[in-house]
Amino acid sequence: MRPFIEIENLKYVYPSFIPPHAGGQRGGGGQIVALRGVNLTIEQGEFVALIGPNGSGKSTLARHLNALLLPTAGAVWIDGLRTSDAHNVWAVRQKVGMVFQNPDNQIVATTVEEDVAFGPENMGLPADEIRHRVDDALAAVGLLDYRQYPPQMLSGGQKQLVAIAGALAARPSCIVFDEPTSMLDPVGRRQVLDTIRRLNAEEGITVLLITHSMSEAAMAQRVLVMEAGRMVMDGPPAIVFERGARLRALGLDLPPIVDIAQRLQAWGLPLPQGVLTVQDMVDALC
Amino acid sequence: MLIQVENLTHIYNQGTPFERVALREVNLEIEAGERIGILGPTGSGKSTLVQHLAGLLKPTAGRVLLEGTPIHSKGATARKLRLQVGLAFQYPEDQIFEQTVFREVAFGPRNLGLDEAEVAARVNWALEMVGLDPVAVAQRMPFTLSGGEMRRVALASILAMRPRVLILDEPTAGQDPQGRRALLDKVGAWQRETNMTLIVVSHALEDLARLVERVIALREGRVVADGPTRQVLSDVKLLRAIGLDVPQPVALLQALRQAGKEVRVDRFLPAEAASEIARVWGLRGSVT
Ligand SMILES: Nc1ncnc2c1ncn2[C@@H]1O[C@H](COP(=O)(O)OP(=O)(O)OP(=O)(O)O)[C@@H](O)[C@H]1O
Ligand SMILES: Nc1ncnc2c1ncn2[C@@H]1O[C@H](COP(=O)(O)OP(=O)(O)O)[C@@H](O)[C@H]1O
Ligand SMILES: [Mg+2]
Ligand SMILES: [Mg+2]
Repeated sequence: MRPFIEIENLKYVYPSFIPPHAGGQRGGGGQIVALRGVNLTIEQGEFVALIGPNGSGKSTLARHLNALLLPTAGAVWIDGLRTSDAHNVWAVRQKVGMVFQNPDNQIVATTVEEDVAFGPENMGLPADEIRHRVDDALAAVGLLDYRQYPPQMLSGGQKQLVAIAGALAARPSCIVFDEPTSMLDPVGRRQVLDTIRRLNAEEGITVLLITHSMSEAAMAQRVLVMEAGRMVMDGPPAIVFERGARLRALGLDLPPIVDIAQRLQAWGLPLPQGVLTVQDMVDALC
Repeated sequence: MLIQVENLTHIYNQGTPFERVALREVNLEIEAGERIGILGPTGSGKSTLVQHLAGLLKPTAGRVLLEGTPIHSKGATARKLRLQVGLAFQYPEDQIFEQTVFREVAFGPRNLGLDEAEVAARVNWALEMVGLDPVAVAQRMPFTLSGGEMRRVALASILAMRPRVLILDEPTAGQDPQGRRALLDKVGAWQRETNMTLIVVSHALEDLARLVERVIALREGRVVADGPTRQVLSDVKLLRAIGLDVPQPVALLQALRQAGKEVRVDRFLPAEAASEIARVWGLRGSVT
């Protein structure tokens, strides 16, 4: 069987916009090469984190997975469908949902349930099918009790859960989360991360989680690292986070616990491989 | 006293079904040159408070004084004082409106009446402060930048005004780890050099531990703690009560303590926590 996501030598160049009145300084012009030949496969059901410095191409890659952007060169297949074939676009968007960073920009309706129904309504589904999907989606994120709420009465974390429910209502196989927790407080962050993990573990949803938090990335089964439009590392967190010097050179870091573990090892304390969490560390030390 | 907040109450949409009380009788005093962190869960009133400190909102009740002058008073004195407070918004989209990065960052300095050579020098300096290459980004349209790049531009446009009171509302959200650290280090160094007043809103306790000496915690529009950084940030009960995470190094040290090890728990950064464990475990070569 083919992998769920297949990316072959993907290149993407943003068209350049130079406003006509912009004069003075040179250099800003020209095209921006955001992806420089990315190869990647992700299987159905994987939980993958994607990290990389600002501007490395993470969001650009994400936008290719549901045909918001189409390759300048190379190709992307979702469940065997090539995204650049115009007649595949709707099927691809149904299979891959997206959740973005800013909870306030993603909500369009005046109640939670209307917001979640927005996608299925646009798909032209019959009314009871829509109701079914909305109920299922709200149940999956634990917001059934909030269906009649106006979104502005919710916390940031709850708004993100509404956005996730909106994505779920299309019944996707995969959800791409582009920094879903960057603007949340720790409570909201936990709500969202717990939900993401549950959707992956219990509903088998393939997850691609873009994040600047190394601890969040350490929760995934597999960590991808991008730099300047290229995929430069790909492996389980315990292996990727062994390379602290390389990650720091890329503008990244280690999860705090891994950082502590590596310092202690350098000072001669024997610790097992793959210490990622507080619990791992306590088990190793006590 | 540089800033006095007296019985400040703020109610959004008062008298409508969407009424929200954002601040409840807040009192604060801030001295010139202080480095202050503000923390609290979403909706606790942090952004509302800092917008008042910058004179951008009108109080429902109470007032804000800048060097003894009510911040909203008419006349040249208050206007001049307000210009010395720079607030970088939580959401860069709320702040960015120019067509190029250069014009965006130059807007404030131009408003201050600086000549073009000085404006250009300020723009370059500010972009470098936030880790952007001026040559690469100056002529780009802000809305075609990556999320993290756009936030850096929003920060640069405030830094370029060199305010005497610099307020940053969640400045490191969406920044990559080194960019975040570099920004905090540079802002910290600049603060020490100029002795400006620095106020930073953040959920990231590590950021506050690096940058500020005093922390004010808000909950439901009230000040629930105000004290030295280390004291507030190691008050586990308080942090839990306001729904904030204990930083992972602190969580680790607490877990070790519970397991009977005599470690101190007020170590927020990985390097500090590692040294503390090394001390208790008697590792050599770990003296910092
Ligand atoms: N709409 C656009 N037009 C032109 N260039 C763009 C556009 N969006 C992004 N870019 C550029 O493409 C490159 C990759 O951007 P992208 O948004 O994919 O980065 P990212 O890894 O998601 O960064 P961040 O961590 O800041 O979100 C950057 O150089 C960015 O400036
Ligand atoms: N422009 C606004 N209109 C209406 N309510 C608002 C507005 N801005 C904030 N609020 C409400 O005021 C309260 C405090 O919000 P805010 O100051 O943004 O908190 P924080 O920055 O701590 O997350 C919240 O209940 C929020 O919903
Ligand atoms: Mg991005
Ligand atoms: Mg805020």
